[in-house]
Amino acid sequence: MSEIDIKRISYLAKLKLPLEKEEFYANSLKDIIKWVDNLKKIDTSKTEPLHNVTEKTVSIRNDEINKSNSVNDVLSNAPDRAQNFFKVPKVVE
Amino acid sequence: MKNSISHIKNSLRNKKISVEELYDEFLIKAKSSKNNTFNLLLDKENNILSIKESQKRYENGNPLPLDGIPLGIKDLFCTKGIRTTASSKILSNFTPNYESFVTQKLLDDGSIFIGKNNCDEFAMGSSNETSFFGPVKNPWKNKNYPTDDLVPGGSSGGSAAAVAEGTCVASLGTDTGGSIRQPASLCGIVGLKPTFGSCSRWGIVAFASSLDQAGPLTNSVEDAALILNSINKHDFNDTTSSNHFREDYSNDINNKLDQKIKIGIPSDYLKDVSGDILSQIENTKKALIKHNVEFVDVEFKTTEYALSTYYILAPAEASSNLARYDGIRYGVREDGKSLDDIYLNSRTKGFGDEVTRRILIGAYVLSAGYYDAYYRQAQKVRRLIKDDFQRIFNDVDFILTPTTPNEAFKIGDKLDPISMYKNDIYTVPTSLAGLPGISIPSGLSTNGLPLGIQFIGNYFEEKKLLQIAALAEKELNFNEQ
Repeated sequence: MSEIDIKRISYLAKLKLPLEKEEFYANSLKDIIKWVDNLKKIDTSKTEPLHNVTEKTVSIRNDEINKSNSVNDVLSNAPDRAQNFFKVPKVVE
Repeated sequence: MKNSISHIKNSLRNKKISVEELYDEFLIKAKSSKNNTFNLLLDKENNILSIKESQKRYENGNPLPLDGIPLGIKDLFCTKGIRTTASSKILSNFTPNYESFVTQKLLDDGSIFIGKNNCDEFAMGSSNETSFFGPVKNPWKNKNYPTDDLVPGGSSGGSAAAVAEGTCVASLGTDTGGSIRQPASLCGIVGLKPTFGSCSRWGIVAFASSLDQAGPLTNSVEDAALILNSINKHDFNDTTSSNHFREDYSNDINNKLDQKIKIGIPSDYLKDVSGDILSQIENTKKALIKHNVEFVDVEFKTTEYALSTYYILAPAEASSNLARYDGIRYGVREDGKSLDDIYLNSRTKGFGDEVTRRILIGAYVLSAGYYDAYYRQAQKVRRLIKDDFQRIFNDVDFILTPTTPNEAFKIGDKLDPISMYKNDIYTVPTSLAGLPGISIPSGLSTNGLPLGIQFIGNYFEEKKLLQIAALAEKELNFNEQ
């Protein structure tokens, strides 16, 4: 098993770990990855991945319009809004 | 049974109690509970309209299947106009504008929600200690250490403890790797995880979408069947929702089994277990053998890989599902100078330690260079686990296992994540295979704490599963012990 680059992983997960906690999470992650490493010894060269256990085709419905999620509904939980928009800091200069 | 749904419905029908008095009785008890079982309780005023309509139906002689029954709902189901937090800081201010499919079905059948049950944060945990609102206490006490506060199990720990302490008649929970069955076992009640695809996931705060299932936590097997009748329906909003024919699950539940039943006991599950756990299996065997039930030893080839597979797949799906919490559209926002700072601050401050850990595991196993070795390999092993179950089900009707490897432990005792994850050793394989499992209380440990057994059935065979569980329940007679 290779070393865990905790800074890279937390960057991928959009988390900014406090410096004093980086080691805590790095060690924890290392232990868990080591623990799950036993899967590597299983021969799965002839096995297909299983994504959905029931493996049934999805049911299809008619594409009918129904009224749900009004603008106000969608924005009612927004931390910050301006008129009918979510409000965030300026993105483009 | 005094607190069973059918008993309460009889009392309502015979006017021994009114729907309003019933609600008051449970609410007063819930408000005085010291076990932190609810994140939110609904005062009578919030439900007065439903209470009155329910009472009217009783008076007109046409009550609905769950009419007037006070239910707890795990705080993971979106409930319209009622705060839904997933026991996380990041959702602590969230009030959904819609009702989840399964809770809507419970409302349609006349039940009344008394409140939202505490749970592990985003349903990630096996002891209900990861909740932003603090741990739930198990109403049971270890008779040798009666002052210790014990965990109720998790993640539906608030649901299980609330049913056990009698502050709701039943509760709706969710099970991803054992989150209904394990707490049910540690609190001495019944918990059913239906086949994946039975109950719609629409409106449930997502954890691991290929595993999450809603299900009941109840005082009896019959109650579990009654709740299942209500929630087990096809839903177009969930693409994995199955549209198979559903039976009436409570009808004939106590009838004698008319065919010879063969139950497999996995010998590999019973290696190194304590005498307490072993005797649950032995007692169940003794109780059922006189009912034309044959027991055979079976052996899995994949058990040792199940937890590893689960702890790759569930965090991978979680890290993807939880990407939506960014402080922009809903949930708690932590300010920052740039948009990116808002994302980073909101997520870092909004998630607790266990959720952060699982997001990191997920991000790692899905990242470039590791995807094939971990995530894809785990998906393949998952098929081997499913095939392993199917091989065994070619020969038996059910599989019988302990629900948990131990009794309820002290709050704060298990600090190491891996030893916590091992709590779910008997429930995780069933979840990976998508099979239905039910835990029923089977007896007490030497410390006087409840222990449970799990029956696992084949896909969509909930009816048969409930029948065998009802028979075992009657024979083991836990509630009279």
